Amino acid sequence: MTLPASIISALHGPRALPLRAIEQVMDVERLGAMHQSRLSFMRTLMRRIMRECWQIEIDKLALDEQGYGTVIYRIKTPNRVYSFVIFSEYLADEDRNDRVIASKWDLTMALVDGVIDDTYLQMLRENVPKQEAGRVDSRVFVLSRANRSMRNFDYIVDKLASGEQPEISKLSAVGYLYRTTAVYGSGKLGMADWEKVSSCFVDFNRPFSAEMFVCLMLRNFSLLQVEHIAKHRSADSFRGMQVEIKRFIGIGNSTGLGMAPYLINHPLLINRWVEMRELALARIRLLGVVSQGLRQQLLILLERAKIYTRQTVTEDARQTDNNQKLLVDLSALAKNIQQGFNDWDSLLGWSEQHCSLQGQEMLVSLMLELYPELVDDLENYLVVDELMDLDPLMPLKKVQQIIQQRYAWALSYDFDCPQALQHFWYRSQEKMEPRLGLVNSEPGEDRQMPLGIAYEVRKCFDLVTSHLQQDPQQSTAHFVLAQPQLRGILRRVQSMNKSMYGDIQVNLLDENVLPMHLLRCKLAFFGVGKFDPKSKLWVRNTMFQGAPLLEEIGQPFNDDWFMPLAPSSSQVAES
Amino acid sequence: MMHISMIELKAALRRCFEASGYFVGNYEDAADMIVWLEKHGLQGLAEFKSMLPYLCLDQDKPLSTIIYEDSGAIVIDSHNRSSLNCIAAAVDVAYLKAQDSGIATVTVRNCHNRRFVLKAITDCGRRGVSVAAYWQNGKNKVTEYTASIKAGHRYPSYSEALTDLSYSDQQQQSLTIICSARVDLLPSLKKSTAIGEIQSISAEQIAENKQRSVEQGIEISTDLWSEINRIGEGVLVESNDKSRRGAG
Repeated sequence: MTLPASIISALHGPRALPLRAIEQVMDVERLGAMHQSRLSFMRTLMRRIMRECWQIEIDKLALDEQGYGTVIYRIKTPNRVYSFVIFSEYLADEDRNDRVIASKWDLTMALVDGVIDDTYLQMLRENVPKQEAGRVDSRVFVLSRANRSMRNFDYIVDKLASGEQPEISKLSAVGYLYRTTAVYGSGKLGMADWEKVSSCFVDFNRPFSAEMFVCLMLRNFSLLQVEHIAKHRSADSFRGMQVEIKRFIGIGNSTGLGMAPYLINHPLLINRWVEMRELALARIRLLGVVSQGLRQQLLILLERAKIYTRQTVTEDARQTDNNQKLLVDLSALAKNIQQGFNDWDSLLGWSEQHCSLQGQEMLVSLMLELYPELVDDLENYLVVDELMDLDPLMPLKKVQQIIQQRYAWALSYDFDCPQALQHFWYRSQEKMEPRLGLVNSEPGEDRQMPLGIAYEVRKCFDLVTSHLQQDPQQSTAHFVLAQPQLRGILRRVQSMNKSMYGDIQVNLLDENVLPMHLLRCKLAFFGVGKFDPKSKLWVRNTMFQGAPLLEEIGQPFNDDWFMPLAPSSSQVAES
Repeated sequence: MMHISMIELKAALRRCFEASGYFVGNYEDAADMIVWLEKHGLQGLAEFKSMLPYLCLDQDKPLSTIIYEDSGAIVIDSHNRSSLNCIAAAVDVAYLKAQDSGIATVTVRNCHNRRFVLKAITDCGRRGVSVAAYWQNGKNKVTEYTASIKAGHRYPSYSEALTDLSYSDQQQQSLTIICSARVDLLPSLKKSTAIGEIQSISAEQIAENKQRSVEQGIEISTDLWSEINRIGEGVLVESNDKSRRGAG
C-alpha cells in the first residue's frame, strides 16, 4: 500500500513530526513492554464491525445435548457474505494438548467466502477437523482450532445448569472458555492467499483481520455452547449467563516461538505497524490539546489500568515483577498528573525518567485512547507491499555508511565472544515447528534459520569494508555478482534503510535472548491482554475480553472495551 | 493434480532450494521466479521439473564470473548453473549499466532454465527500465524465445517460435539481455525464420492469468509437490526430547 503524501511528509523530511528515536523505539525490550492500543487489530476490527453493523446470524445449529456437532454462522457485511463453520467433537482430557504438534482438538473451525451448501460442508467436515493434515480450497481463508479450559468449561456449565452465575473470581483467574492453539490464514493448507483476501474479501483487508474475526466468533460460540449444554442438562433450573459476565469472557490463546521468526521475516510490515503507532503518538505530542477534562479522563484510565493489572494473574516471576513495577508506575504517573502538566512532551519525558518500560509504554497506549480523531485514521495504513528489492546502483560505499548509521546496534555486538552466538533457530521435523537450540549441544546448527540478522550484518559489513579497500568505487551490482551469499542481507539493509524505524534491534543468537519480547510485541499489536508466560518460549493470553457481544452489534458503542475489569456483584445484579 | 496456494508453493520451494545449497537471498529469488512464472501462466513448474535432476549440482559449480566488460556491455559465464541462482545478479548489472549508459547489453553464457529471466526483467520494468531478453534452445530443431517489458509496466510479453535456424555453439545456453533507461524495447521474432505460428503471450494475457491464479490458487501434480517437499525436508532437524524443550 502506498502511503498518502500527508503521512509520508509526517514521517520523513523537513515537515516530519516529532517521532521518538529509532534506537529507543526498536529496542527489543521496549517492544516487549508494549500494550494493546487503539490501533491494535482487535480494536480496529471491532470498530469496523460496529460501525458497519455487520449482520451475524446462526444459519445452522446442529449440536447434540453435549454440545457436539456443527454450527454455521452467516456473516453479512456491506460488501459480501461469509460463513463461519465450527465442528465440535468429543476430546478425551488426556488428548488435550495446546502444542502445535497436537492432532486432536475440542473445536475446529473455518472462515469461508459465501454461503455453504451441503456438498461444500461435507468437504469441510472431512478436512477442517484434521487441520494441518487436511486440505481446503481458496474459498476458505482462515482455519483454526481450540481446546476447552479445563478450569472453566465444566464449572460454568454446572453453574448455569443449576441456575447460578459463575464466580467472578474464577473468571478473573482464567477469563475464557476456550484457548486457540493456532489460527492459520494467508494461503496455508490450500486457503486463499493474502493477495486474494486483501483484494477480494475487502472486509478483512487489514493485517490479521480475518484471523482476529475467527477468534471473536469462537468467543461468541463458546458462550452459546455453554448455555446450550447447561440448558439441555437441566432445562428447569437453567438460567442464562448475565450479560456483564458474558462480556468478561474472552478467548484464551497460547502463543509459541512461531511468532518470533514471523517478526524477523517481515521487517517492512513490522516497521509499518510501529510507524503508525509512533506517528499517532507524534501527532498527539504536537497537536493534542491538554484540557482539564482530558487530564481527568487520563486519571480514570490510569486507575482502570491499575485495577486491570492487579486482576492479571500469572505465576511467572518476571511477568509478576513487571506487573508490580507497572502498578508503582501507574500510581506515580497519577500523582504527577494530579500536580498538573501542560504538554505531553513533558509528561512523556517524566515517564522516561521515572517509570519502567512497562509504565512508559502503558502511558503511550493511554494517550492514544484520548485522541481518536488523531489516531484512528492510521488504521488504514497498516498494510505494506513487502518488496525487498536489491538496489544494484547503490555504491558500496553507501552500503557501508548505511550499516554504520542504521545498524550501529548490530555492529556493537562482539561476535568473537561465544556467548553472542550461543543459540540457533531451526525447524523441527515435527510439523516444522520453530525451535531454539543450543550451539554445540544440540544437532541442527547446520540447518539453522537465518534469523541472526545482527550477525549477518556484521559479516556483510566486514566483507564490504574489505572490498572497498581494493575498489572504493564498486557498485552493489558488481559486489553481489562476486559475493552472491550476501544478496539476502544486502537487500534487507538497503530496503530497511528506506523505512523509518528499520529492523528490531536484537541479537537472536545471544545466550540471554528472550524470545518473549518478540511474542509480546506482536501480541500487543494484535490487542491481547493478560499476558501469562509459561516459560521464556511461550505465553498464554486473553483475546476479546470485554468486547461487545454479537447481539450488541447495532447498539451504541463507545469503543471502550479494552482492559476490562471484573464485573462487580452490583453490576451483575443490575444486569 | 492437487490444489495449493501460491504462498505454500513459495514456502516449499524456498525450503527445497535452501536444502539444495542455495544461499540466503538466492533461495528466495529462485522460489519467487518459479511461483511468478506459474502464477502468470508461463509454466514455471514445468521448467522447474525439468531442472530437478540437476538441482543439487549447482552448489559444486564455480560462481558466475565476468569474462568481458566495458561501459555498455558485459559478458558473464555462469558455468552451467541454472538461471534460478545467477540470473537476478546478471540483470542487476544490466540495470546498473543502463542507468549509467542509457542502454546496455548483458550476455550470460552457460546458463540453464533461461525462461526464468522473465521474473527478473519484470522487476526491472517495475523499477522504470525497459528490458528485452533473447535466447535459443534445441540442437536438432532450434526454438527462439524473446521476452520484453516496457519501462514502468507491470507485465512483460513473451514469444517463442520453432525456427529453421541451424544449431550454433555460441547461442547454446546463452542469454542476451538488453536494458535501456531511455527507450522502450519491443522485440518481435522474425516470421521468415519461424516454422509455423509464433506463439505469443501479451502483457494483457499475462495479467489475466495472474488474476485467475490469485482467485483460484495453483494446480500441481501430486508427485512434483511431494518431491519438492521431500527435498525441502533437508532443512528440518530431527526431533527428540531435548529439542522439544526448545519449543514454544
